Amino acid sequence: MAKTDIKVDHLARIEGHGDIHLIIEDGNIVKCDFAVTEPARFFESMVRGRRFEDVPYVSSRVCGICSSSHTVTDIFAIESIFDVEVTDRTRALRELLVYGSFLQNHATHLFVFAAPDFLGHKSVFPLAEENRALFDSALGLKALGNELCTAVGGRSIHPITAVIGGFTHEISSDEYLALADKMDSMLDFALDSVDLFNDFGSVDIQTEGDMLAMVDPGRYPVLGSDTARFVRAGYDFSAQNIDSAIEEYAVDHSAAYLAREKTGASPYMATALSRINASWSELSEPARFAAAKAGLRPPEFNPFANNIAQAVELVDVLVRCSALCRRLAADDFEGTSKPVAFNVRAGRGVGFTEAPRGALFHEIELDDDGRVLSASILTPTSQNIANIEADMRLLAEKLILESYDQDAIQLEIEKLVRAYDPCLSCSVH
Amino acid sequence: MSERSSGSIPRVVFAGFASCFGCQINITNIEKHLLDVLGQIDMRYWQLTSSDPMPAQFDVAVIEGAITTKDAEISAKRLREIADTVITIGACAQSAGIPGMASDDIDTRMKDVYSDHVPALISDSAYSPRAVGDVIEVDFAVPCCPVDPYEFVRVLQHVLYGSNIYPHTATLCGNCKQNGRGCFYGRGVMCMGLVTRTGCGARCTALGRECNGCAGLSPDANIDMARRIAVASGIDEADFNKALEMFNYNNEAIMELR
Repeated sequence: MAKTDIKVDHLARIEGHGDIHLIIEDGNIVKCDFAVTEPARFFESMVRGRRFEDVPYVSSRVCGICSSSHTVTDIFAIESIFDVEVTDRTRALRELLVYGSFLQNHATHLFVFAAPDFLGHKSVFPLAEENRALFDSALGLKALGNELCTAVGGRSIHPITAVIGGFTHEISSDEYLALADKMDSMLDFALDSVDLFNDFGSVDIQTEGDMLAMVDPGRYPVLGSDTARFVRAGYDFSAQNIDSAIEEYAVDHSAAYLAREKTGASPYMATALSRINASWSELSEPARFAAAKAGLRPPEFNPFANNIAQAVELVDVLVRCSALCRRLAADDFEGTSKPVAFNVRAGRGVGFTEAPRGALFHEIELDDDGRVLSASILTPTSQNIANIEADMRLLAEKLILESYDQDAIQLEIEKLVRAYDPCLSCSVH
Repeated sequence: MSERSSGSIPRVVFAGFASCFGCQINITNIEKHLLDVLGQIDMRYWQLTSSDPMPAQFDVAVIEGAITTKDAEISAKRLREIADTVITIGACAQSAGIPGMASDDIDTRMKDVYSDHVPALISDSAYSPRAVGDVIEVDFAVPCCPVDPYEFVRVLQHVLYGSNIYPHTATLCGNCKQNGRGCFYGRGVMCMGLVTRTGCGARCTALGRECNGCAGLSPDANIDMARRIAVASGIDEADFNKALEMFNYNNEAIMELR
């Protein structure tokens, strides 16, 4: 009996701890698990009883890569309870902060985590010898994301300055302009990156799951909208009613909660590719053209295309950040970013943003004193795991038919999992 | 112990336990200097960045994260057996940090989060978070949440070349005053700088944000006096005690408060 047993303990070049286990017997897949082995830290339990001010600070520590997103999403949840109306300037700064983590995340994922698979390396470091210009530009893009997060949030991860109602500190106009110039100077490299990841090519599989992303007419939104869309099922829902659309469930082989679309009990992707499918026509022109040139247009259901989608978003984010920085320098937004006053009251609120990896929801319930009664976090990766497993199965079936050997199957499965850019510490939290 | 001939480049491994991985990520965030730093060591294992497997021999283990499972404890002990030097990075490793806040009633917390469907993976192995130093001997600790990557480089240089600079013991308050931004207590805002170990450069308070104590309690801290100052400034005593717990949950100096 022919048996292929692929076991990858502690998959490298992803954030957190996870194992792949794939067993094929006589051409049939008998096991296909992506086991998230990350230890639980019980964030939703530890914040109970703490005051609301602590919550964004603590939840930032869910993830070292998308800490800005967790902070901002929690702030939204709390502000929706207190009915806080912030200034346009504060909104712009929050968008900039989240975009900073997009630059950090996408550059890290694409070049440090994903690219070595395609270049035949174990890590990004051999690239320093082989193609120093590419290595320097890739790390330069990541560094620009750090610089942006530091400028807006006070440091490159775990932002300091973002609080309920506004920001405790802002940089000067000259610093905004210098940042805008740097964004412009990286644009050519980001455009080349779209071509690079397109040229890497991939096995052609079509995910059967749905695609979830934030939508807002006329925008390619990462925050500022309460509407989420299941692209394939073709329906929208308000983030405040998340429980009616999304169901979380536990399985024994994973420490992370998994999620599925509630009515059809089907898995789905919450990724950059989901955003591209939902809002392609709202991409900035350079990003849309780059996507079109790379053949990335909706509908695109090959999960490997998430790499290209992230590269396209790098272009989009640079264009948008440059414009935002110039407007902030010119004082073109109404109001200051100084935290506005608010009244503490009891209630329930849901914060919703597009984190770099996909849709992120934080649900919080506070008592009259602003202490946490309950908290719930739904991260992009916990939404993606069920679809990752479904796609691993699809991919393995295809590769068996095409007579790939065990090592080649393992490499392609690893590439697939990395294409989703999973963050396992996020997913367990 | 490993067998390293004198003068050779030390072999280094990175290991991550319960954490956000942010300290390791923050070390990759000094892009301009990353190759200079890596050039001084022989990087043998860094799961975050490379698929090379964990080697059988190395000299320095850099550990991020709190110990929250039996398996993690076994892994940490194995790292200690092989390495000459163990460096912890970040608050999770140093004091159990943020995960440490979930130390009590771990079984109840599992149910809080997973209700009746606690995955076997968690129910079989999770225990109350511990600092790495509670499980193995630690030689050097880089404090804060997240670590300042340059502080990591300084500690690494200390390990590689020696140094007569020792960890700070004073509280943050003295350094913060040098920033000339005024005191939060004058505005009725609680700040943990009164009792927190200095050395971070007072970055948060310089940016208008109160200290949350991520460097951990200073050994010189006068907690009772700090509490009296806080209460005199209009801070609720229970809130002050709760704030003390954030990065010091298992510190004996405050455990009596529970």
